[in-house]
Amino acid sequence: MTGFITRRLLQSLVVVLLVTVIVFILLHLLPGGPARAQLGPRATPTAIAHFNHQMGYDRPVPIQYWDWLIQLATGNLGFSTQFNQSVVSLIAERLPKTLVLTILSVIFALAVAIPLGILQAVKRNHITDYAITFWAFVFYATPSFFLGVVLIVVFSVYLPILPAEAPQSSSIGVILSQPGGLILPVATLALLTIAQFSRYMRSSVIENLAEDYVRTARAKGADERTVLVHHVLRNSLIPIATLLGLSLPTIFSGALITEAVFNFPGMGQLFWTAAQTQDYPIMLGITVLIGVVTVIGSLLADLAYAVLDPRVRFA
Amino acid sequence: MNPVVTVVDLHTDITLRKGVVHPVGGVNFIVREGESLGIVGESGCGKTMTALSIMRLLPPGGKIVSGSIALGDVNLTALDEAGMRKVRGNRIGMIFQDPMTSLNPCLTIGDQVSETVLLHREVTREQARERAAEVLDLVGLPHARERMNSYPHLLSGGMRQRVVIAMALACEPELLIADEPTTALDATIQKQILELIDDLRRRLGMAVILVTHDLGVIAGHTDRVAVMYAGKIVETSPTPELFANPRHPYTEALFRARPENVDPDRRLYAIPGLPPDLSDPPRGCRFAVRCAYATDECRAQEPELTASNHSFACFHPLDSKQQVAPNPPTPLATTQQAAPVLEVRNLVREFPVTSNGVLQRKIGAISAVADVSFTVSAEETFGLVGESGCGKSTVSRLLVAADTPTSGSIIFDGVEITGKSNRELRKYRGNFQLMFQDPYASLDPRMRVGSILREPLVIQHRGSTVEQENTVVRLLDEVGLPRTAVHQYPHEFSGGQRQRIGLARALALRPKLIVADEPVSALDVSVQAQILNLMRDLQREHQLTYVFISHDLSVVRYVATTIGVMYLGKLVEIGPAEQVYTAAVHPYTRGLIDTIPLADPERERHKIKAGVRGELPPAMNPPSGCRFRTRCPRASDKCAAEQPPMVPFSEQGHRAACHHPLRSPIPLLPSTHTGAAPTTPATE
Amino acid sequence: MTAIPAEDATSAHPPKAHGFTRTMSAVLTNKLAVVGLGIIVAFIVFCYAGPLIYHTDQVHIELSQAALAPSAAHPLGTNEVGYDQLGRLMVGGQTSLEVGVAAALLATFFGTVWGAIAGYAGGLIDSAMMRVVDALLAVPALFLLLFLASIARPTPGLLILVIALVSWLGPARLVRGAALSLRTRDFVTSARLMGGGPWRAVFRHIAPNAIGTVVVNATFQVADAILILAALSFLGLGIPPPAANWGDMLSSGISYTYAGYWWLIYPPGLAIVCVVIAFNFLGDALRDSFDVRLQKR
Repeated sequence: MTGFITRRLLQSLVVVLLVTVIVFILLHLLPGGPARAQLGPRATPTAIAHFNHQMGYDRPVPIQYWDWLIQLATGNLGFSTQFNQSVVSLIAERLPKTLVLTILSVIFALAVAIPLGILQAVKRNHITDYAITFWAFVFYATPSFFLGVVLIVVFSVYLPILPAEAPQSSSIGVILSQPGGLILPVATLALLTIAQFSRYMRSSVIENLAEDYVRTARAKGADERTVLVHHVLRNSLIPIATLLGLSLPTIFSGALITEAVFNFPGMGQLFWTAAQTQDYPIMLGITVLIGVVTVIGSLLADLAYAVLDPRVRFA
Repeated sequence: MNPVVTVVDLHTDITLRKGVVHPVGGVNFIVREGESLGIVGESGCGKTMTALSIMRLLPPGGKIVSGSIALGDVNLTALDEAGMRKVRGNRIGMIFQDPMTSLNPCLTIGDQVSETVLLHREVTREQARERAAEVLDLVGLPHARERMNSYPHLLSGGMRQRVVIAMALACEPELLIADEPTTALDATIQKQILELIDDLRRRLGMAVILVTHDLGVIAGHTDRVAVMYAGKIVETSPTPELFANPRHPYTEALFRARPENVDPDRRLYAIPGLPPDLSDPPRGCRFAVRCAYATDECRAQEPELTASNHSFACFHPLDSKQQVAPNPPTPLATTQQAAPVLEVRNLVREFPVTSNGVLQRKIGAISAVADVSFTVSAEETFGLVGESGCGKSTVSRLLVAADTPTSGSIIFDGVEITGKSNRELRKYRGNFQLMFQDPYASLDPRMRVGSILREPLVIQHRGSTVEQENTVVRLLDEVGLPRTAVHQYPHEFSGGQRQRIGLARALALRPKLIVADEPVSALDVSVQAQILNLMRDLQREHQLTYVFISHDLSVVRYVATTIGVMYLGKLVEIGPAEQVYTAAVHPYTRGLIDTIPLADPERERHKIKAGVRGELPPAMNPPSGCRFRTRCPRASDKCAAEQPPMVPFSEQGHRAACHHPLRSPIPLLPSTHTGAAPTTPATE
Repeated sequence: MTAIPAEDATSAHPPKAHGFTRTMSAVLTNKLAVVGLGIIVAFIVFCYAGPLIYHTDQVHIELSQAALAPSAAHPLGTNEVGYDQLGRLMVGGQTSLEVGVAAALLATFFGTVWGAIAGYAGGLIDSAMMRVVDALLAVPALFLLLFLASIARPTPGLLILVIALVSWLGPARLVRGAALSLRTRDFVTSARLMGGGPWRAVFRHIAPNAIGTVVVNATFQVADAILILAALSFLGLGIPPPAANWGDMLSSGISYTYAGYWWLIYPPGLAIVCVVIAFNFLGDALRDSFDVRLQKR
C-alpha cells in the first residue's frame, strides 16, 4: 500500500502544479495581463507599462511563472486594491465559513443519501423507489439558486420559521451560534448532493446485492438485515468515498451559488463580488486555493478507499 | 437408512420480463444419510435451480409452484422465511461454483466462517472463532489459525473453495449441496476438493447432493445419479449401474459425446439441435426432437419415470446391443512424415514485475515460458496441455505473433517470425490464425456476422467485394451455419454457434496453421463434440495444421497426434499422443492423467489418492532445478540442484525432462528424427 | 451421422431490426424514455413553432405594460420591462436549448478525441493527458466560468465555448476508460492478428463499441449545460438583454420574489427543470438499452 500512497501523492503534486499553470495562464489571458489584475480596471497604459517593468512582467514567461510560484509557496496571493487588504487575509477570514457550510452539508447529505439509497435498492421497482427517484431527478434538475429561492419562499415567506439570510458576521462563532440561519443554505447545498449520492448508492447496493457473496451469506442463514448491514453496506460504501472526492468541485460550485443566494459571507460570495468588480487578485487566489483543496480532498478520498478496501490495503 | 431429504414432484418457475420459464418441471428424488446423489445435465437443464429450490434461494422472480421438499420431517416448502433461515447453514450447507466471487472481499475468512456458527449456535464470539479455526483446519487450509485474519483475495481459488466448504460445514449440517463446486478450478485442484468432500461426508455422516455437468465427476464421487434434461429427471439409478447400462438415449448420447472413450479414428457423437425453450416446453418427451430413436408416440405422449431402482423416462430404452455400438468412423489425416510447418526453438517469455513505488523499478520477472522447443509437422494436430498458469496460453499468443518472445525463435514455413515488425508480419499473418477460447468476447458485438467474416479478406485485400461475399457464404456453409447469418449480430447466436463463427473467421484467409486456445472449454459436452468433429472435418478438407491448447488431457488425447505437456513454463514431456497418454514417463503427466475424472466408476475408484497434489507455485520465483519437484512424489536432491534435460523414451520422438522418470530412457542416438534439437539445460 | 449436425438450420431466427432501429425500439419500450423524448419534442415545438403562431415583440421595452399579471392578452403576464412572458419563454428557450446542445456536442467531441488518444496510446502519453484533465477538474467549473465570463462580454458563441471548456473532462475520462478496456478485448486482438492496423482497431472496433457510452453521456451533458447557463445568468454573467434565455428570465424574476410576481419565476423555472429532467430520463433509458444489448451479447 505504501507504493500506492507514494504514487498517488506524486500524482497529486503534479496536478497541483498543473492547477497553478492553469491559473497562471488565466492571469495572462486578462486584458492587460497581471498589471491590470493588480492595478484594477482604471489603470492608465503608462502605469501598466511601468508596473510591468517594475514587477518583471516583461521578462521571459517561464521565469515569471517560477517567481509567481515562489510567491504562492510563501503565501503571497497578491493584494486587493478594492478591499485594501491582502488576498491571504481576506481568504483566511472567509474560508472557515465556506468550510462550515460545505462540511455540514456533506455530512447532512451523506446521512440522508446513504439510507435513502439503501431503501431504494431494497424496495427496488416499488413505489417508494420510484417516488424517491422522481424527487432525486427534480432536485438534480433544479438550478440551485432557484431551489434556494423556493426554500426561502416556503420557509421564510409563507411559513416564517427560518431566516432568509445567513448570519452576517465576520466571526465563525457568531455564525455557529445562529444555527437557524444555517439551515436553509445547508439544505440547499445538500439537496443537490443528496440527489446524486442517493442514486449512486442505490445502484451500488443493487450491484452488491446481486453478488455471489450475498447468496453465500443467505445460504448461511443470515437474515436480510445482517446481509445488508454486515455484508453489503461496507462493500457499497467503498465507491462512495471516491465519489465524494470527485464531487468536491461540484460542491464548491454549489457553495458559490448558495452563498450568493443567502448572502452568506463565505469565500464563494467573495469570489462573486470580486468577479463583478473585476478584482482579479482575489479570483486568482481563491481559484488556486480551491484547486489545491480539491486535489487534497480527492487524495484523501482515495486513501480512504485504500483503507476501506482490503484488496488495496494488502496489495 | 433414513431419508435426509425427499423431493416430490417439484415444479419451479422463474418470472422474467418476457414470460415465465419453467426450469424445474416435476422432479422427484430421495437422498439418504451418508449417501451422495449426483445431479448431472448440460447448462440450462434445471439442475442448479433444483438445488436452489431446496435452499429456497431462487433468483429474483423465482418461485416454487408445487411439490414438496421434506428435510427429515420438516416440509421446507411450507416453512416461513424465519424458519427457513434456521435451516440454511445449519441443517443444509451449500457450496457454490465460483470461489473467487462467493466470499465477501471485505471480511476476513475467520469472520465469515464464524458467522455461520454465530447465526445458529448460542455461543460467544470467541467460541465461534474457535470453532471456525477448527473447521478451517478440518477442510485442510494450511496454517488455519494464522490465516483467520486473512482476506479472501490473498488465497488461491482452491483455498477459497476450502473456506466456502468450511462455512457450509461449520454447523455440521445433515445435507450438503455442492453446485458445480469444482468447475472453476483446475483438474488437479478439482480432484483434491472432491476427495475432501467425500472424506468429510464419511466422517460427518452427512448426505450430499453434487450438481455437475461432468459425468466424470459423478462417476467417482456419488452413490446415485439423476440425469436431468429440460427440467426433468430422465434417468436415475445407482451410479455403477447407470454407467454400465445407460437406458435413456440422452444419457447414452452424453457418454458418447465424451472424447475419453472414443478412439481418435471415430467421430464423437454430437446431439443434433438445441435443448427446448423452457418457457414453452414441447408436448411429449422433451428429448424427442433430438433423439435418434424417437417415434410419433414420443412426440405425442410424455413418458413417465419407471418405478424401479434403475428408472428412466423413455418409451424406447436402449438395450445392451445399442449401448456398445461404436461411434461412426472418421478418416484420419495420415501425414506423419510431412515437412515441419512450425519450429519453435528455445522460446522464452518473461513478464517484468515492477515495484509498486514511484520509480517502478524492475524487481523480478514472471517466467511464463522458459526454454520451450517443439516442431509441428504439416497437417498434424499438436496438443499442448497443462494447468492454468503453466504458460500454454502465452505460447499460443507467441505462435501467432500477438506477443513478442523475450528470446528464442519461431520459424513458420521456413520463415523466421520473431523479430519482424508489425508491418513486415502483415503479409504472413494470413498463414496462421488464432481461434479464441471465449466465443462471447472474440466477436465484435456491433458487427454483423457478414462483416466479421469479411474483415480478414478486407484487411488482406483478397478479391473484389463480390468475391469476398461469395467467400463469406462458402465459409458459413463449411461451418454449418445458415446463410441468413450474414445479417445477424453475434449475440443472436448460442455459444456453440459463435464458436463456429470464430472458426469460420480463422479459416477465411485459408491459413496453413490454426492455433486454437481452449476452443471448446466454454462449451457443453454435446456442443463440444460438434465443434471437435467440425474442426477435424475442416482439417481434412483444407490440409490444416492445428496447435490445440487445452487444460483437458482427454480432449487433447482425442484430437492430437502429438502431445506436449507444460508445467510452470517448461515443456516436461512431448511425444505421439497415444504414447504420452498411455505410457507417460514424467510424474507430472502421469499425475495429470490421474486427475482427469473419467466417466467410469470402476477406474475412478482405483485412482483415489493418485494424481498431482498441492498447488502450482508462483511463476515469479520458480523452484530451482526441476520446477515440478515441489509437488513430485519422486523428487530428490538432484531435482533441486539440476534442471533435467530432455531425453528420448521411444524411437517415435517421445521425450521427457525428468531425473526420475517412470521408465528408463532409450540409449541416446545421434538425433536425426523428426523432433527438434534436444534442449540444453539452461543455466539460471 | 456423417454429416455435420445441422444444429443451426432449425434455429435460425427471422432477421430482426438492427442498429439504430433497434436502439430506438428499445428506447421506445421504456416509459421514462418516452416521457423524456415527449417533453423534449414538446419544448422544441413550443420554442420554434410557437413564435410562428403567437407573435410578440421581444425587442422593444414597453414600460407601460410592465409586470402585468396573467390575463387574456398576456397568458403568462409581462415582465418587469413589459415583454410578454409567454413569448419570451419561447425565444428564451431557443437560446437555452441551442447553447445547451451546442456546448454538449462540442464538449463531447473534444472529450472523445482526447480520451480516445489517451486510452489508445496508453503509457506516458496517457498519464500526461489525464493529469491535465485532473487539474482542470480540480478547479470548480463555476469559478473558472465566472473568471472567463468576467474577462469578456458574454455572447452565445462565447458561452458555448466556455461551457464546453469545463464540460469536456467527463467524456474524456469516460472514453479513455472505455478505450483502455476495449483495446485488450479479444475481437480487437483478432483484427490485429489478421494484419489490421491501429486505425482499423480504433475506427472499426473501439469507436463503435464506445459510441453508446458517448451518446448517453452527451445526453446528460445537454442537461448540465442548460443548468450551467442558468447558474451563469443568475451570477449576472449570462447573455445580456434584449436577448433572452430561461436562466436570465428566472434570475431576473427572482429579484421580484417579494413583490409576488410569481409568473416571472415559476414558468422559466419549471421549463428548466422539465427539460433537464427530460434529458436525464432519455439518457438513463439510452444507457439501459445499450446495456441490455451488451448483456445479451
